[in-house]
Amino acid sequence: MEYIVQQVLNALSFGAEYALLALGLAIVFSIMGLVNFAHGEIIAVGGYTMVAFASLAIGNPMIVMAGAVLAAMLASLTLERVAFRPVRKADPTTGLLTAFGVSIVLQNLFLLFVSPRPIAVTSLYFLDWSIEIAGIRLASLQVFETLTTIIVIIALMLFLRRTVLGLAVRAASLDFEMVRLTGIRANRVFAIAFLISGLLAGLACIFIMARRGSVDPHLGFEPVLKAFVACVVGGFGSLPGAVLGGFLLGAVEVAMLVMLPQSLGGMTDAFVFMIVAMILIWRPDGILSPAVEKGDKL
Amino acid sequence: MIRLSSSQKSGLVGAALLALVLVAIGLLTTYFGSRYQVRLVYSAYVNLIVVLGLQVFMGNARITNLSHSAFMGIGAYAAALCVTPENIKKISLPDAPWGLAQFSLDPVVSALIAVVITAVLAFLLGMLIVRLTSIGATIVTLAILVIIHAIFLYRTDIFKGNQAFFGIPQVFNLTSVIAIAIVVVIVCRLFRESRWGIQLRASADDEVGAAAMGVQIYRLRLIAWVLGAVILAVAGICYAYFLGTISARPFYFNHVFLTLAMLILGGMRTVTGAVLGTFLISFGLEGVRYLETGPVFLGIDLPEALGLSGIALGAVIVLTMALRPTGIMGNREIETLFVRQRH
Repeated sequence: MEYIVQQVLNALSFGAEYALLALGLAIVFSIMGLVNFAHGEIIAVGGYTMVAFASLAIGNPMIVMAGAVLAAMLASLTLERVAFRPVRKADPTTGLLTAFGVSIVLQNLFLLFVSPRPIAVTSLYFLDWSIEIAGIRLASLQVFETLTTIIVIIALMLFLRRTVLGLAVRAASLDFEMVRLTGIRANRVFAIAFLISGLLAGLACIFIMARRGSVDPHLGFEPVLKAFVACVVGGFGSLPGAVLGGFLLGAVEVAMLVMLPQSLGGMTDAFVFMIVAMILIWRPDGILSPAVEKGDKL
Repeated sequence: MIRLSSSQKSGLVGAALLALVLVAIGLLTTYFGSRYQVRLVYSAYVNLIVVLGLQVFMGNARITNLSHSAFMGIGAYAAALCVTPENIKKISLPDAPWGLAQFSLDPVVSALIAVVITAVLAFLLGMLIVRLTSIGATIVTLAILVIIHAIFLYRTDIFKGNQAFFGIPQVFNLTSVIAIAIVVVIVCRLFRESRWGIQLRASADDEVGAAAMGVQIYRLRLIAWVLGAVILAVAGICYAYFLGTISARPFYFNHVFLTLAMLILGGMRTVTGAVLGTFLISFGLEGVRYLETGPVFLGIDLPEALGLSGIALGAVIVLTMALRPTGIMGNREIETLFVRQRH
């Protein structure tokens, strides 16, 4: 019983991390059709901010966490202004390759100006202790992660449904020109989307850093790759799809970790991706894919 | 006698012009280049074959592929496993399963086997790729790259992971790789101008329209995908047969970035763009690498700057996309620069 509860919680916390990141990717994609490969570098910016706080001898964990999230949001906003605005109207492939280039540049900037080696960050260890509920031992970090994701999803839903700006964001994913005709500034909608995306990346960064305890230039790569796969499985551009894909991926990954023998330990990701590929044979556009208009609009 | 269409004729002219350029660079290197420069030019030609293999799928179907280095790796390892002499394999791969260490074949047969293995694998994976929408396909190719790299690292008993797989006979020199590159240029160009190539490019411009005209998009994408993989396998074989040692590392992200930047800079829609981009970046990057080591330049002692070449590559991609998304060549092939087109 204890074992099952633990594995379910494992699956939920893995899934929560992927869902957070996948949501950040999906909200940007739904509005401007941009596959943001640089999302992982936003996470790394958060990680390096923690390093900066540590070297300034600021130990207060609340300041460290808030600083990391703010830095991630700022970085996300800056990328939109500097790199993605010129390709705003371009086709998805152009946007994808731009983001890919931005990601390479940022990774190498970290390499050049900080260090190619991992740097330890110890200020977040306090998040992780083991708690006991009804005789079942759980890791607090996993509980926090799952709860945070649930709160974020609810908050995001309220924002998108109850506020004018949220409505504009949702409408922009359907018909951007129409939104502009109603007098809402395009730049503001893009800024909001990237801010939300950065916020989600910053939150994910806290949990990733609390678990890993160190930051290197490739910090964000692996989680974001998983988040991409989650987006593809859920249906690229669909927010519920991103959440569903994230949790599904978490469940498959934990199932693989439990079922695969120890000797195949290094191959977990390969098996996870293969199972995901099977889902894509069944539904090539993802499970909850939004309807795509391929022809000309009349 | 095969009747060629006018675009196929001009394609042959273009391929011949590119072949002249390739031979000229090769001759210059052979007569004036140092040993180091010959190696450099050789690797530029291997990358050229990679970029051409990438162009066949990316340029015609216009789906970004990020798994190409993995297929190059499959070709290189398959050929290396076949061609390496038994006595060396007994030392380097003592635990190899399925009797892999108990045979060795001659280089040509090994190369053929490697190409067939890569083609079969590409066909199986391609059946999944071609059905996806463009973004989904790109992410799945990324996943394929990660999976294949994980297999190279995990099965150290066959591939030796990040350690060197040594003892491959060094049967190739600059002349052989130039000859192969010229053949590949001609193949790519003829594919681009063939019925299949034109239909595929049409489907990239307007998927619904092309399908309505009877173009079998999935089948054509699969053909381009497998042809691309075969060319990539050839590139891997050229790499292994010249260096004599391979490891998993060169078939991963850094190489993906490098070759992708080459294709994007030159322009992925044309074969000429692929050739131009490869040579521009190959030689341009040498200059950046020189700066990276922290040389004394004009009397100023520059600091060591690891990562500068990565920044340069990323910047090339970002700037090309922002300023000229179709690359330097756009839709123009080399012969259109010299011959006035009749319309």
